[in-house]
Amino acid sequence: MIALRGVSKHFAGKRQVTALRGIDLHVGKGEMTAIIGPSGSGKSTLLNLIGGLDRPSEGEVELDGQALSRLSDDDLTRVRRDKIGFIFQFFNLLPTLSCLQNVSLPLHLRGWPRKKVEERARELLDVVQLTPRIDHLPDELSGGERQRVAIARALSIYPPILLADEPTGNLDTATGIEILKLIHDLHERLGATVLMVTHDTTIAESCPRTIHIRDGKVFEDVRR
Amino acid sequence: MILLRLISWPYARKHVLRSVLTMAGIVLGVAVFVGMHTANQSVLAAFHQTIDRIAGSTQLQVSSGETGFEEEILDKVRSIEGIRAAAPVIEASANTGQGNLLILGVDMLGDRGLRNYDLEGSGDAIDDPLVFLAQADSIIITKTFADERGLKTGSRIPMRTMQGDQVFTVRGIMKPGGLASAFGGSLAIMDIYAAQKVFGRGYKFDRVDLALEDGITLDAGIAKLKAALGPGFQVEPPSSRGQQFEATSRIYALASSLTSVFALFIGMFIIYNTFAIAVTERRSEIGILRALGATRAQIRTLFLAESAISGLAGTGIGVLFGILIARGMANYVGGLLSDVYGVAQSIGEVSPEPWLIAAAVTMGLATSLAAAVLPARAAAGVDPVKALQKGRQQSLSAGENRTRRRWAFVCAAASLAAFLLSSIGWIFYTGYLLAVLTAVLLSPALSLWLAKLLRPVLARIRPVEGTLAADSLIQAPRRTSGTIAALMLSLALVISLGGLARASYDSLAEWMRVAFNPDLFVTTTESLTARSFTFPASLGEALRKLDGVEEVQNVRSVRLPVKGTPIMLIVLNISSIEKHAKLPPVEGDPATMYQLAAQGRGVIASENFARLHGAKFGETLEIAGPAGVVRLPIVGIVRDFSDQQGSILMDASVYLKNWNDDSVNIFRLYLKPGVEPAAVRQRILDQFGTQQRLFVLTNKEVRAFAIRITDQWFGLTYVQIAVAVLVAILGIVNALTVSITDRRRELGVLRAVGGMRSQIRHTIWMEAVAIGIIGLALGMALGAVQLYYSVEVARRDLIGIEIGYAFPFQVVLIMAPIMIGAAFIAALGPAESAVRGSLVEALEYE
Amino acid sequence: MSKQLLAWTLLTAGCALAQDPRQIVAEVQKRQHSDSQRYQGTLEVIGDGNRVSTKSWTYQRIGSFGDSKARLQFTAPADVKGVGMLIVNHPDRASDQWIWRPNIGRDQRIALQDRSTRFFGTDFSFEDLEERDVEQYEFKLVADDGAAWKIESRPRKKSQYTYSLLWIKKDNYTFTKVEAYDAKGLVRTTDYKDYAQVKNIWTAMTTEVFDVRRKSRTILKYEKLEYNLPFKETDFTLQALRLGL
Repeated sequence: MIALRGVSKHFAGKRQVTALRGIDLHVGKGEMTAIIGPSGSGKSTLLNLIGGLDRPSEGEVELDGQALSRLSDDDLTRVRRDKIGFIFQFFNLLPTLSCLQNVSLPLHLRGWPRKKVEERARELLDVVQLTPRIDHLPDELSGGERQRVAIARALSIYPPILLADEPTGNLDTATGIEILKLIHDLHERLGATVLMVTHDTTIAESCPRTIHIRDGKVFEDVRR
Repeated sequence: MILLRLISWPYARKHVLRSVLTMAGIVLGVAVFVGMHTANQSVLAAFHQTIDRIAGSTQLQVSSGETGFEEEILDKVRSIEGIRAAAPVIEASANTGQGNLLILGVDMLGDRGLRNYDLEGSGDAIDDPLVFLAQADSIIITKTFADERGLKTGSRIPMRTMQGDQVFTVRGIMKPGGLASAFGGSLAIMDIYAAQKVFGRGYKFDRVDLALEDGITLDAGIAKLKAALGPGFQVEPPSSRGQQFEATSRIYALASSLTSVFALFIGMFIIYNTFAIAVTERRSEIGILRALGATRAQIRTLFLAESAISGLAGTGIGVLFGILIARGMANYVGGLLSDVYGVAQSIGEVSPEPWLIAAAVTMGLATSLAAAVLPARAAAGVDPVKALQKGRQQSLSAGENRTRRRWAFVCAAASLAAFLLSSIGWIFYTGYLLAVLTAVLLSPALSLWLAKLLRPVLARIRPVEGTLAADSLIQAPRRTSGTIAALMLSLALVISLGGLARASYDSLAEWMRVAFNPDLFVTTTESLTARSFTFPASLGEALRKLDGVEEVQNVRSVRLPVKGTPIMLIVLNISSIEKHAKLPPVEGDPATMYQLAAQGRGVIASENFARLHGAKFGETLEIAGPAGVVRLPIVGIVRDFSDQQGSILMDASVYLKNWNDDSVNIFRLYLKPGVEPAAVRQRILDQFGTQQRLFVLTNKEVRAFAIRITDQWFGLTYVQIAVAVLVAILGIVNALTVSITDRRRELGVLRAVGGMRSQIRHTIWMEAVAIGIIGLALGMALGAVQLYYSVEVARRDLIGIEIGYAFPFQVVLIMAPIMIGAAFIAALGPAESAVRGSLVEALEYE
Repeated sequence: MSKQLLAWTLLTAGCALAQDPRQIVAEVQKRQHSDSQRYQGTLEVIGDGNRVSTKSWTYQRIGSFGDSKARLQFTAPADVKGVGMLIVNHPDRASDQWIWRPNIGRDQRIALQDRSTRFFGTDFSFEDLEERDVEQYEFKLVADDGAAWKIESRPRKKSQYTYSLLWIKKDNYTFTKVEAYDAKGLVRTTDYKDYAQVKNIWTAMTTEVFDVRRKSRTILKYEKLEYNLPFKETDFTLQALRLGL
């Protein structure tokens, strides 16, 4: 499903920073994997590369056997829009849009008819149990609720891959657990491949597979 | 200060383009202000310098309007005690075979006591007034003029005089400097008695220049001369000759001040916009500062200081641009005003006066500070706790809308009240201001409403992008309201200026149709405005006898002081005017006013004279003539555009009786039906052209000439329109740049969740176009109001003419694609940078 | 004082021996008396840089000193020929002066205010063409070197000069030199040379005026000098000047 071969990433600046060095990785379909490592280890970069938000300096990222490096920006977007759902640490909701509108956004971008969009968005909000908050603005929600909206948005077309960058990082423990439960639940119900970046070992341990990143390299790859 | 360097400077450096665009409004406003005023002042200064140069050591000038006076007056002046030197002068411009010259006819014998003719070269004739006097064809030119045209002593200069073509001989060349440098050297000296013949002055002088003996004050001199000469004469220092000119340039100054105030006003919105966004953007930074112990006052001061600095920088650049503008404008204005002398005024140094720079700095600073007050307050209001929580938004403008609407209502009510009481000057202007303020306060609410209206339209064009664009406008009006207000204001300015130009053009055209209806015009110069030469009345008799001529109107136009200003007196046969060219009446009975005036029982005043000089229908005007004050009531007010300061129509009989002057500037010829004007024109030229300086212009040529002059005058309006358009474009560019930078993260999210580049692009484009359309709609509405006020301002204080209100749809038709196009073009760059930038960075952007 | 530079030159002769300066000058005036006079004058103006211009005129005069009429008419060069001038002196006030300009057919009065200006590019001023009677001055004897008197004269009437110094030869009561001053100092010096006796009147045939400030010199030479001709009063009018009689 997801394959990385010899992937490195450097960031140019006053001093060149190498975030990833020669990563080889394979994630099978339907796997739920946690990527763990200390801050600055390169785990978020890894996730961005897999999600096609960024391109590797060296090496190749393949999704379903399709090499991303050769894709144009629009094709990359298409891959993103068809295969990947993102959940961000800071939710990245549009503050001016209501929950429903935020969730609808990716569907609109796909050009779905308005009616179908609304149907699906309601359905998704129902999945994350936010139906009562449907017309609220992000500002009016709690952190956990916001993350649910973000998850609903990521699920828009039930993508085969779900990428989550510290989904609980900005939440209190109880809410974090709740969100984690939701993700597990979704994984089971939808059979999506889930890749979750975290620095919390308890969260990582709840996943069947844990990849440790340290200094830009795979330090440990544990399957339970 | 430390805060400025540590916090503000890096931020400004990071947003160079934005900072520049923010300043641009101030730059433009200041540039226009400084430019126009400097140009005006430089022209005025050059003009006064010219007057000084020509005046030499002349302390006082005795004149009788433009009519001139009999030679005996000179003896009378000379016989007055306390006058050191008195010399007669004839001043006229003439087109010689070698270009336009201002010709000063002087009495070489006495004039040297007043003016220094610094002659150069060698040879007998030079520096010998005897030869100069003995030979009537003598002319002295300046070295500059001579060098430019390769003329030497003894060279010949042909000139069309009132006695046919004559050749003049250069009998002296003045060294550069002083008198010789007036008009860049386009000046010549001629014997006054020779000049009388050349310009058809008869035995009259235009004026007497004089110097008083030491120990006699100017006021004492004036009193003595006035007492001796009577009310028909003006005794003034040479500097007051600028009056006419100053009146004209005042109109320019006022018009350009209005433009620059508008530009600054719009600039204020641009700044407000930028700062409002900067505050949101720097929320976390402000939070950190607050957390580290900065007080609210410090934060507020920081933002105000930033604004002050950018205001000062903008002012500085604006002053520089202003000087550039002034350079360009000065020649234009100088050319425009050349009709005072008939020779183009060359402008020497163009540099702003200190008070102007001080005013510019004050204006620039005040504008930028005023613009930053609200954002600075918002910044000071940032809650450090909330600001430091990433991902949380703090609504900074809650409640603003309601307050704004409330104020808008108050302003609207007050403006309406002012409208009802608008007969009083300051109340009228306050009402004007309040109306604009109302529009500004209402613009966010109105644009929201318009955006909602636009939503389905945009959605229909492109369901996804259109909806997103419209939603962005609807959800975040704060982001765009400043831009829309700026757009609205500039468009309103364009519409009011355009409408004014259009309407006055139409009134002018209408007037020309009536006033210029004769078939032929016989004039002394190619231009209709120059009054240097005059015909003897006898020519009119001769013209009347020509085959095919039905009627001849003799027109004499002279400036005479009325109500303290030199006013154009148009002397003609009133009954003939009644028959052929009845001017549109404004006040008084059109049936009787011409008869009364024709009988010499009154004069007809022009609308603008009445308005600008506060003359009322029925009021008795005092016009000083050589024989005493002539008192005549205004028996009618008509629309006449002959002169900017207004005009007075007087019957020829009255003028002849009181001024003893039957000379003529223009003969207006009406031909018998079916007679070909070209044939009559040829007949006139054949019969009189050789012995007499004359030009025959057809109806069409005269109108074309008038239109050309009008166009020149409207030049300034076009400049103002250009400024307004520029400001509008600037506003859009700035707002979109700012707004898109502000939304980088949002746009990043859009892309992350599957938005294609093209979709993002289209969204931004559509949003920009929507802003353009909303601005256009609001601008049209405000423009309609603004036009009303402009028409009023023009009527009250600028030109004194009631210009019909006509909404300039053509202007809107032209402006619509410009505005929307500008919006679109402005969106291109920011849109590209939004889709090209790194997604990862965009997502982390905060 | 010496506004009558030229005038003085026109009358040179006399006797009488008085030590009173006023009487000396009166004697000069008396000795130079003639009923009328005519000469051809040649004017040479040597300007700054030795630029020389030459003009000629015919001069005619009638009446006694201080109450006379004079007219002069330029004869050369060609471009000034015909320009005339009429001077009517009055014993009690400033003279009337007109110029006649045949090319434009106009006469023109020389205003009192303009009398200090140069007379047609020469180093004389218009005022210098005027005759003023001895009664119009105050005199003071300044020096007496045996052969000549040096007398200061101050005008009683308005003049461009504040005072003048006159040098008068004792033997024949003729001026040899006049220095004219204004408030700022020396303005002009006039030297009378080449005295000849015509009809018993000692006349300086050469008068040299030096304009101190302009550094310009004008030399007037008399030719064909005649006295006591049968002129008519009517020839000394503007009318006559206009008609070219």
